[in-house]
Amino acid sequence: MNDSLVVFKNVVKLFGEFVAVKEFSLEIKKGEFLAIMGPSGCGKTTTLRMLAGLDQPTSGEICLNGKLMNDVKPSERDTPMVWQTLALFPFLNVIKNVEFGLKMRGFSADERRIKAMTWLKRLEIEEFASRDISQLSGGQRQRVALARALVTEPKILLLDEPLSALDAHLVIRMQSVLTRLQRELDITFVYVTHSQSEAFAMADRVVIMAKGEIEQIGTPREIYRAPANRFIAEFIGRNNIISGSILDKKENLITLQSKAGPFSVSSPEKLSLEVGEKLNLVVSADVITVSEKKPEADNVIECSLIGEEFIGSIVTLFLEAKGGIEFKAQIQQREIQNLDIRSGSQLFLSWPTASGHILPK
Amino acid sequence: MTATRTTSLFFKSYICLVFVFVVAPILASFIFSFNSDRFPTIPLGNFTLHWYKTIYHDKDVWDALWISVTSAISVSIIATFIGFCTAYTDYRYNFFGKSAYLALALLPPTIPLVIMGLAMLAWLSHIGMSGRWYSIIIAHVVLCTPFAMAIIRIRLAQLNSSAEAAAWNLGASEWRTMGEIIIPFSLPAIISSLCLTAAVSFDEFAVSWFVSGLNKTIPVIILEVLQGQVDPQINAIGTFVFLTSMTLVVIAQILLMTRHGKGLSHE
Amino acid sequence: MASKTSKGLTWYAATWRLPNLVWQFLFFVVPLAFLFYLSFWLVRNYRMVPGFDSVNWVKMLSKDYFWDAYYFTFCMALVATVITSCIAFPCSYGLAFKTSNATRRWAIFFLIIPFFTSYLVRIYSWQVILAENGVINAALGYLGLNPFIMLNTVVGTLVGYLTLALPLVVILQTLSLSNIDRSLIGAAENLGCGRLRVVFTVIIPLAKIGLIVGAVFCFILSFGDFVSPYYLGGSKPPTLSILIIDTTKSGQQWPRAAVVAVSMILTLLVVAFAAVTAAYRKRT
Repeated sequence: MNDSLVVFKNVVKLFGEFVAVKEFSLEIKKGEFLAIMGPSGCGKTTTLRMLAGLDQPTSGEICLNGKLMNDVKPSERDTPMVWQTLALFPFLNVIKNVEFGLKMRGFSADERRIKAMTWLKRLEIEEFASRDISQLSGGQRQRVALARALVTEPKILLLDEPLSALDAHLVIRMQSVLTRLQRELDITFVYVTHSQSEAFAMADRVVIMAKGEIEQIGTPREIYRAPANRFIAEFIGRNNIISGSILDKKENLITLQSKAGPFSVSSPEKLSLEVGEKLNLVVSADVITVSEKKPEADNVIECSLIGEEFIGSIVTLFLEAKGGIEFKAQIQQREIQNLDIRSGSQLFLSWPTASGHILPK
Repeated sequence: MTATRTTSLFFKSYICLVFVFVVAPILASFIFSFNSDRFPTIPLGNFTLHWYKTIYHDKDVWDALWISVTSAISVSIIATFIGFCTAYTDYRYNFFGKSAYLALALLPPTIPLVIMGLAMLAWLSHIGMSGRWYSIIIAHVVLCTPFAMAIIRIRLAQLNSSAEAAAWNLGASEWRTMGEIIIPFSLPAIISSLCLTAAVSFDEFAVSWFVSGLNKTIPVIILEVLQGQVDPQINAIGTFVFLTSMTLVVIAQILLMTRHGKGLSHE
Repeated sequence: MASKTSKGLTWYAATWRLPNLVWQFLFFVVPLAFLFYLSFWLVRNYRMVPGFDSVNWVKMLSKDYFWDAYYFTFCMALVATVITSCIAFPCSYGLAFKTSNATRRWAIFFLIIPFFTSYLVRIYSWQVILAENGVINAALGYLGLNPFIMLNTVVGTLVGYLTLALPLVVILQTLSLSNIDRSLIGAAENLGCGRLRVVFTVIIPLAKIGLIVGAVFCFILSFGDFVSPYYLGGSKPPTLSILIIDTTKSGQQWPRAAVVAVSMILTLLVVAFAAVTAAYRKRT
């Protein structure tokens, strides 16, 4: 296992009676951008804090660079972190904040200044070097926090929801700053977030956690197209989950009988399914085509429109099929102009067989 | 509209009356200290510095001042140290019996001073520590620690809850973090605590009177003069004490105000 | 709170925890416990002898002057509490609702000043102001009124208690009143509740805890003070605190003084407990 930097082995963390993390095993590779994602209280921040030594695992092992870290003090780890609240030191100015880690490692005043200035330049905030933290904007503070963490040239950087306090525009900007930095430095980033868009936009691999356990590990694409279970399918959002039972099975094609009618879907290779078995079909909202006339397609269903939601140029339509089953469909703003749409309109949804995904049990 | 204006006027004049009541004795003492009459009344007598000259030439007053000042300084340092330790413990740790621990730190002001005085006198003489130069210091530290603790605790509450962990994360040991983060951040509160506890100790008379023995402080002198008869010297001493305490209080207040500017935590 | 940890006690943690524990135990808890123990000692030939005898308690509690002093002190403290709270309330109300934030901050700053000026000097000032030929009576004389005897009466004592407690009570009341959610008052008025009724049905119940805490502090301060009843009230009759001082300073009757002190502490405990219970009681 030469290329793994961090290894979690059966890590358990209890806070009193509460199980924050249970039987957590994970390998994080060198130079990888890993996102840990999940709803609040799922144990993702605790996992990160254990890696930084701020919380001790109740049982299990955490290794960094092949060395067992369980009893190493946080100050002796070199696992710098960017905090959700940033935790910049309010009585120190920008450059003193950035120099802090170097000062603790005994660098001389001159070296500290040079290294810190290099990082301020790299993050384009050198003009604020002698400002007070309170005089900076949110985005500038973010960069100070990054510079402060990276100035000691660590092998790994931990990020705990660092962008949650920024507005949408800045989030996008900082995402590109982070991905560029990670690529240029070629170090490991472990990024904890509850935001799917942040995780999927930046990470090489995403770990999804719920109630202290790993639900799925994979590339953003894998998770997006093939969620491992119903929790993930729902958590990722904008997915249509259709329950039904298998009506027919021919080679690689399954026909699923649901309340809204029969649908066809490709059979997953790993699962052996029997006719009559109950299962869930996932269809992502953005693979659905919406039309006014019944199209020629693999799967077609007639629905009536309930409502719409506009975010940027994407429109999400909320529809209801017979049997009370709800569907979501995402289409481009300009496409919607060609449709005659008002509440209650009858529309046809369709998607190719290959776009459906069967959830494993 | 006239109704609201009348009520508003009523409240403003009422507030002024209360403030007159609060300020009257302080102001009167100040004015009487420059008044030639032994029994001041209106109309006032002539302007005089006689009472200040009297205390200036009184050796007892100088001795008492020396004891008051040295006690106040020692008390402020010890009480602020203990208060800081306690405030930090409360900020940082949860442990079994913490509420009892905090009660220990915060309850002394609720015990009447006469009782504190008697208890101190009884205990200190039992262990052979009453009537010494340090007796007052020991007793005043007990009374002043709660103030120090409260002032510093309020300041620590403004520190980002991750600040300490952030320092460890950047390679600072716990002790180093104390020196680099906690103490610099608390410094305004520490100085203001030094001033306020010094002022409290400088003014305290009841417990001092019980435990001081021959080491009289300025308030004990005042108390003893008061037991005699009317003597405007008290006004002169009082004015001097007032100015000393106020200087300390104003310095403390200015330092506490700094939290509104620099040093605010960012959540 | 994530930064609070509760693992085993380290040297570092112990360093910060011990000073308060040691000092306040040795010089706060132990002296009070010792005082309690002392109340069972004996005095023979003007010397105290350690022992465990209830004689001091029996003697003290059978003396009429003790009970006279007890009732007088208790009633005076109660009267002072009611008067101070009532005088303070309109002032706190005005500060909380009728003035700007800046004014309120300055007012509180001014109210803190008295804590750091000598209480003795202020009482001495009142002695001079309230005296039969003092400032107030001289002013009354100009108006053609007869002098009004205030010094060495209950009035004098109450002025002293007010001097002691009023600033603190106003501060505590103002803080609790200004924490009331304004929209609740607006809602009550909107529902046709008159100004005065709003005060009694909305504001006072909402600020109850602050008002009671202020009253408790006023009671504690007045109950334990010896300066006002002595120098402004003329010590007629003596209060419990004066009794302690007289018993301590004249002769070696410390154990009896301890009896008085312990009964004072017990009284304060009962009063404080009753008040806190009242403050946090849910209205049904």
